[in-house]
Amino acid sequence: MVQSNKQKYTFLAFCLIPTLVMFSIFTLYPLFSGLYYSFFEWSGSSANKEFIGFSNYIKLLNDSIIPDTIIHDYFLVATKVIGIMVLALFFAVALTQLKLKEAPFYRIIFFFPNIMSVVVIGILWMFIYNPSLGLVNSGLEFLGLEDWTRPWLGNETWALPSLVLPSVWAGIGLFLLLLMGGISNVSKSYYEAAELDGASEWQQFWKVTLPLIWPQIKVSILYIVITTLNGSFIIVQVMTGGGPNNSTHVMGSYLYQQAFVQYNFGYGATIGVMILILSLITVLILQLFMRREKVEY
Amino acid sequence: MKRIITQTGIRIPLIIWSIAVLYPIIWMFIGSFKTNAEIYANPWGLPESFGFQNFVQAWSEYNINISIFNSLIVTVVGALLTLVLAIPTAYAIERLKFRGSNLLFTIYVSAMMIPMVLGWIPLFFLLMRLNLLDNIFGLAIVYAISQLPFSIFVLTSFMGTIPKSLEESAAIDGMSPYGILFRIITPLSMSGIITVTIMNAIQFWNEYFMALIFLQSEENYTLALAIDFISNEAQYTNNWGTLFASLTIAVIPVIILYAIFQRRIAKGMTEGAIKG
Repeated sequence: MVQSNKQKYTFLAFCLIPTLVMFSIFTLYPLFSGLYYSFFEWSGSSANKEFIGFSNYIKLLNDSIIPDTIIHDYFLVATKVIGIMVLALFFAVALTQLKLKEAPFYRIIFFFPNIMSVVVIGILWMFIYNPSLGLVNSGLEFLGLEDWTRPWLGNETWALPSLVLPSVWAGIGLFLLLLMGGISNVSKSYYEAAELDGASEWQQFWKVTLPLIWPQIKVSILYIVITTLNGSFIIVQVMTGGGPNNSTHVMGSYLYQQAFVQYNFGYGATIGVMILILSLITVLILQLFMRREKVEY
Repeated sequence: MKRIITQTGIRIPLIIWSIAVLYPIIWMFIGSFKTNAEIYANPWGLPESFGFQNFVQAWSEYNINISIFNSLIVTVVGALLTLVLAIPTAYAIERLKFRGSNLLFTIYVSAMMIPMVLGWIPLFFLLMRLNLLDNIFGLAIVYAISQLPFSIFVLTSFMGTIPKSLEESAAIDGMSPYGILFRIITPLSMSGIITVTIMNAIQFWNEYFMALIFLQSEENYTLALAIDFISNEAQYTNNWGTLFASLTIAVIPVIILYAIFQRRIAKGMTEGAIKG
């Protein structure tokens, strides 16, 4: 190629600089400056921004709502991982191994909620849980289980578990596709060999399918954990706003309330730092925990 | 015989889950044609007659046409801006191996895993200083940057599949690097560009939380915010029909895109997840 170094570097700069500048202004700068804000007491106007050292962090440790928000987040992480993985694995095996004619139909239907807006999902499910009109309570009445009916989202005990079902409902499709991709890459000969050795279908699942699609399972679990820790507050905000009586607040929705409703921006940033640290630690621990020798037969 | 029994046994949970997915969505469409009285009398059944009064009310009382327009602007501007910023960077990272190209790629991709909620507080004040707070173009910029890592990731892997000989022969013919980027690489990556754009557009059309933080006045509400507003009012006014009509308006474009681009969307999302 005949071009001078100068031309080459101009072109490189043309490709990279504008994007990097925008990315730095709107992503990197806010992240680092969030860290910086967490050492200030600040209600938003520039006049009363006061450096207070680690006071926000001490406040965080003494805030009685914080441990609840952490527990709520990890409750959602655990229930979503179990709910989504069990159902997605079951459906993935069913759709790949049984050669159903209508398998594409299920795949297309199950995936659709993944691309629906959280607002739409949240509002639909608010109506499903509606105490007087909702599907859940009407269904229970229809089955003669009137005692079980309750205002699901208005009940301190049941509000948080009620948020799991919509999340599983909306999340399954993506992981179904990921796992189906893994299973269809497993060579047929393993199953034939297992069958010759007299392994039942159940044994085939545990000894052949599961170890061979471990990479996909690992990716799915990590992805559910990350997206839940980084985004569970959206459905919380839509469906309960953290209530009743803080019983559904997760870290992100509490940050929103502290910063953008009560204007404690410094303290909000401190909660943000906590979210960042917890999600990084969680991902690291999970990766160590799930490290497992790659299986090859 | 045994096979038929297992097949039927397996079909039952599959059919139940299909109903669980489809029923609320279909029922939302039906609800948008019902009067409030009908919703109360028979919330989960069919309407007696199909009327458009709920859509009319969403239009006239809640100005949902303005929100639709705002959402469209944010979606289109955001998606275009993402492409303008992502295509040259993806090309440089993938093809013009320079010192630090791997580091740059790692920085972009790892931003996909960072919880952005911490950055939203400073971003709020930054937008305020730039006069972009409560401004749909400000929101479009924030959206575009938020999808930059995903877009760069998908586009680099796409450009990696274009044969190098095409660029080389174009360069020998005297084409400038700008010409190669815009007249050779961009058209040849069109399939990847389409996938990325559809994913980003759906994302921007659906987005709720950043809009909640960065927009304030009603005339700037995107559709997601307008729906949230109507939903909060419906808790007191019980105006459910209008709520369903607005939900229907929000979902229909997504269904149309999904019907056309089902394979692309599924592939794009699984690829994004594998990297995440």
